[in-house]
Amino acid sequence: MDFKQFLASFKIKTGYDFCDYSDNSISRRLDKISAESKLSFEQMLDKVMTDETFKNKVIDEITVNTTELFRDPTMWISLYKTLYQQLPKSATITFWHIGCSRGLEVYSNLIMMHLLGNLDRCRAIGTDLNSRVLEIGRKGEYSYRFNLYFKDNFNAVMAGCGLDAKFEDYFDIDESQDKMKVKPFLLEKPKFIEQNLVQDKAPFAYKVDVVFFRNVMIYFNDKLQNKIMSMVCSKMYDGAALILGKQESLTSQMMTRFTKTGQYYQKKVLL
Amino acid sequence: MSDYKAVVIGGSAGSFAVVLKMLSKLRPDFELPIIICMHRLKHIRSGLAENLDIKSSMKVVEPYDKERIEKGKVYLAPSNYHMFVEFDGTISLSIEDMNNQSRPSIDYTLSSAAASYREKCLGIILTGANKDGAKGLKDIADKKGFTIVQDPKTAEVDTMPKSALKIMQPDLILSPDGITDFLNNLK
Ligand SMILES: C[S@@+](CC[C@H](N)C(=O)[O-])C[C@H]1O[C@@H](n2cnc3c(N)ncnc32)[C@H](O)[C@@H]1O
Repeated sequence: MDFKQFLASFKIKTGYDFCDYSDNSISRRLDKISAESKLSFEQMLDKVMTDETFKNKVIDEITVNTTELFRDPTMWISLYKTLYQQLPKSATITFWHIGCSRGLEVYSNLIMMHLLGNLDRCRAIGTDLNSRVLEIGRKGEYSYRFNLYFKDNFNAVMAGCGLDAKFEDYFDIDESQDKMKVKPFLLEKPKFIEQNLVQDKAPFAYKVDVVFFRNVMIYFNDKLQNKIMSMVCSKMYDGAALILGKQESLTSQMMTRFTKTGQYYQKKVLL
Repeated sequence: MSDYKAVVIGGSAGSFAVVLKMLSKLRPDFELPIIICMHRLKHIRSGLAENLDIKSSMKVVEPYDKERIEKGKVYLAPSNYHMFVEFDGTISLSIEDMNNQSRPSIDYTLSSAAASYREKCLGIILTGANKDGAKGLKDIADKKGFTIVQDPKTAEVDTMPKSALKIMQPDLILSPDGITDFLNNLK
């Protein structure tokens, strides 16, 4: 059985459709699970049906949910100097974080909004197909020692933007419990909603001003990228901003609907 | 050069200076793509590609995901991303967990190049303070590619070349200048 056949059966058995994930990366990920668990693809499929923990492990491994607070500080500094200075001055600003994982990108953005005095006008939605990471995002609680570099990223962004804020303004730290927790005034803001991009519509009715879609499409092939970007684009206001990962770009087909300005893309206004 | 499809280089502590010198001395018509995975210090995450580009007659880029690998270009693994060489001649990136405490991981880049280019892969391990890269270089050798390890005596930190030598026997052990000469004399 090759990985394509595995994915086709996995879809029938679990409802999760990973068939249009990028061949190279998904075959590597499946080989890794197979090597680590010492199971063939056939045996993996059997185990998925009876062992919920194993099924979740396969999904976690395929969908890659690593994330950080202020990942790629230079990108945040550039956003602060450009996009963030041009946000609507009065109305509600809606942010959609697609593939938000444990919510750290959502909280990074809300910290910036707080520093810009925009927090009260913000609506923040984080979506992901993985309910386990979303639950961690809702709790806003992360291990401390393992994630000390969050603080480095935070300080790098503040220094680069010329802002003087402290990490402790936004996180309660309990070293004895090895925990840091997002402060209540930030924690209450975002909504975390489950959505599988391959098969679900956007789980809300309004349009959005800013989309964060970082390091998710690198795992998809071009066909799936086009399909999902069309759905995302239809939820964006004209002129709304799209932020991709530092090393990602739009497919040539989608590029016709956006213009690139520095670190982000802007949806073209159709006349 | 027709014997190879690409040169793949891994290094960590001390390797930036070695790579910089190498690129500045390569002959202008060197046409194999050069794919480099170097660990970076946390506080100098950006500017590496620009610095190398100034000194090199080849174009140095930090590739975008799914970018095509072209002749005469140098591809430097972007900070905080793993970089893989794919069968279809493109590069793919991933932010999955660190490997050997590293992202980018040299093992990932070298092993994927070994799988894609097989005997047409030329792999080089330079100075460094980590064992990352040793297994990747062995994978290149196992696929009958050509392998070079920087002479540990010439390395700023010899852990990386020594780790490679512990698990495999490279075709050549050379000083940095020796590696540059070797590349310049490729037919
Ligand atoms: C590498 S993380 C990116 C996290 C964050 N945006 C960042 O850059 O730090 C990718 C996320 O995309 C999610 N994802 C993958 N496939 C998905 C799909 N089909 N629908 C929704 N989310 C998906 C994963 O669960 C994972 O949390």
